[in-house]
Amino acid sequence: MKEITLTINDAQVRGKEGDTVLEICKANGIDVPTLCHLEGLSDVGACRMCVVEIGGERRPVPSCTYPARDGLVVKTSTEQLERYRRQILELLFTERNHFCMFCEQSGDCELQKLAYRYQMDNVRYPYTFPSLPVDPLSDYMVIDHNRCVLCGRCVRVCSEIAASHTLDFGRRGWRTLVSADLQQPLSESSCTSCGACVQACPTGAIFSKLSLYKGKTSECQRITTVCPLCSVGCQLDVLVKDNNIVRIEAPRLTELTGPLCRMGRFELLRETRPRVTSPMVRGKQGELEECSWDRALDAIVKRARRAKDGFAGIISARLPNETLSLFNKLIHEVIGSDSIDTLGGWSYRIIAEGVRQFQNGQEGSEIECPMGEILEADCILVAGADPDRTHPIIGTLVRRAVSQRKAKLIVVDPSKDVFPFWTDLWLKPVAGSEGFVLNGLAKILLDKGLVASGKAKPELTRSLSQYKPGEVNRATGIEIADLELAAEMYGRAKHGVIIYGEGLLEKNDPSLVASLLNLANLTGNGVGNRLRVISLKPSANSRGGWELGLATRDIKRDRLKGLYLLLGDEDVDGELLEWLKGIDFLVVQASYHSPATSIADVVLPSPTWAEREGKYINMDGLLLQLKRVLQPKDGMLQDQEILIELSKKLGHELSPS
Amino acid sequence: MAKVKVATTWLDCCAGCHMSFLDLDEALIGLLEAIEITASPITDIKEFPPVDVGIIEGAIGNAHDEEVAKKLRANCKILMVWGDCACFGGICAMRNLFTKEAVLRRYYLESESTKNGKIPSSEDIPPLLERVKPVNQVVKVDCYVPGCPPSAKAIHYALAELLEGRIPVLPSEIMRFD
Repeated sequence: MKEITLTINDAQVRGKEGDTVLEICKANGIDVPTLCHLEGLSDVGACRMCVVEIGGERRPVPSCTYPARDGLVVKTSTEQLERYRRQILELLFTERNHFCMFCEQSGDCELQKLAYRYQMDNVRYPYTFPSLPVDPLSDYMVIDHNRCVLCGRCVRVCSEIAASHTLDFGRRGWRTLVSADLQQPLSESSCTSCGACVQACPTGAIFSKLSLYKGKTSECQRITTVCPLCSVGCQLDVLVKDNNIVRIEAPRLTELTGPLCRMGRFELLRETRPRVTSPMVRGKQGELEECSWDRALDAIVKRARRAKDGFAGIISARLPNETLSLFNKLIHEVIGSDSIDTLGGWSYRIIAEGVRQFQNGQEGSEIECPMGEILEADCILVAGADPDRTHPIIGTLVRRAVSQRKAKLIVVDPSKDVFPFWTDLWLKPVAGSEGFVLNGLAKILLDKGLVASGKAKPELTRSLSQYKPGEVNRATGIEIADLELAAEMYGRAKHGVIIYGEGLLEKNDPSLVASLLNLANLTGNGVGNRLRVISLKPSANSRGGWELGLATRDIKRDRLKGLYLLLGDEDVDGELLEWLKGIDFLVVQASYHSPATSIADVVLPSPTWAEREGKYINMDGLLLQLKRVLQPKDGMLQDQEILIELSKKLGHELSPS
Repeated sequence: MAKVKVATTWLDCCAGCHMSFLDLDEALIGLLEAIEITASPITDIKEFPPVDVGIIEGAIGNAHDEEVAKKLRANCKILMVWGDCACFGGICAMRNLFTKEAVLRRYYLESESTKNGKIPSSEDIPPLLERVKPVNQVVKVDCYVPGCPPSAKAIHYALAELLEGRIPVLPSEIMRFD
């Protein structure tokens, strides 16, 4: 980019050709007031707060949309400009119904801050008092059109960053309203409830129900940690006041995981389950009763000594590496059992076995690509995954690729088009016939010559020979034309990405994973040695658990005499619960009461995600640091302290790793 | 030096601004060396004598408010207004989102605690204006102290500026709309 020199407020400053005047001002520390501008979003010049005078222009121009040129002479603060800015503010205040005294955003509102800055102590125009609706129906947020200044930050963040494009402007002129789809309530629209608009809104026009009146930013401490809810591992800024969480924000809205999702931004604040606050053991009457740590741990020691290798451990993969590692040592070294697993560990075993089959018996190395590759994709095949439900940021990245890069989107799912309105082609196989689809697509790639040179190995050609389109059509019920179309889309793409998850893994069939890897491999469009394939690992630290070796084999159920279930924040599903009921001696260490704690013989209190610290390994293999955002109550122990204490009673000194 | 004569009144409001004024606490003692409060809700004197400074809290909501504002304007050299209602319309102006009839109906007939209600009408009751207005839409205002209510500090700042012979404009740091 060519370097240019401008004169701003009588000083020489440098910038790059293509920058806007506002960008150059900001880069040079020159303060220009803005309202509709938000770093990382496109600029539209909606509010006119950033007007500047430019030599040669007849009237002030918005600096956010004015391209800088070499030799421009700019003034950012003249008497006339300051008068205009105050006038704009007065007009904004008269245009809608701004009542600061009971607005949730008062104190954090950018409109209000600007009014203070321009000492707007009266308004010279008559107020319009328009009658405007409020949409309070969403579980998470409220749209109050009375407080909207039509800056369009929500509209742009929804389309450019969250890639949902639910919000846009409806109606025209002074009747314009921000509108979800075709003026639907947000709760009935295509909104994914990521809440990026809440963070982008400069006023109280879109605000979170879960943070209402809990505190202002200036009263809060901001702690950056990692979301515990899925393996994407978004960074969260948690705003804390008086040991309570006020709000969760993205540190930077515009980074890869910036929009966050309804889970990280909102669901974490909707916790209503009752906490486990004290150790408990089952008393003589068979009822759980609160007891001392000593009594609870002694009860475990007694049974663990007796059970030895009949004692197993299952741990939540939402817990950090440090806890996973200590738990591993406790079960292996201290108790002397090799029965250990993580919740969701079964999915690892299927993926690992699938990779082994794909690599002809060799152990799996790093063969998946990072999630950022989704943004580079020109075709995305989603097989047995529902990202919006399990890993919403992945859903956002997919939509961004479709809307911004015109990527083709193919969904393979027997029951649901997981990206309605976005999917180019939904292949709907008869349940259980997914393997036919994957192999059938590979066969078409081979037949049409859409494979990279050297990839069509004879044994592969032979093994795929049975998947002729007619056969696949009979097995799956999918039209041959659709299969061919999908193969064309995926096979001709330069950066085709395959995403798979729960739906595929649930089939409990590693050969599906191998088929999928084969399909990706045939195109030869890898990233270095890696395939453009992404598996959606179930929990925030699933990968930590796998890499630390906690999920390598199934627990031997036949000789089981006792089980230590370290649940943390998680609940167990119905199937696991039924299995737990049959266990002789059950220890549950959990943050919350649940059916699992109610059938336990010993219950130990665990901190919550917000009270823990440690490290996660996210789905991309990045090591992420969790920070403690809330102080636990007196008498609570960290998970690791409990494990060390228990080991001590069993005669081993474990040290935190 | 003769004391500066001040008259204050409250119109469509909650009295919060006057409470904030009383929150000056011990600073009031010093202030009263320099000013004399004549007609005011605090002294309970109703008729305005000619004064140097007139102060209005509250918006213009009915015919009485309009008349009092005009009277005070006619009797003062400088008119200062306190609070969001007087400056912008404030909470009182929220009724502008509805018609006058709907407001009266809701308040006197339909509110949950009302049984056999009746909209009062008497020539002694000043009629509501169709719309609540900030004071500067009825009479000329010389200076504004917004806030809901303005802090004692903001009120003190404004009065001190006036006593120094300057028309106060609140600095950004102490200006509040809440």
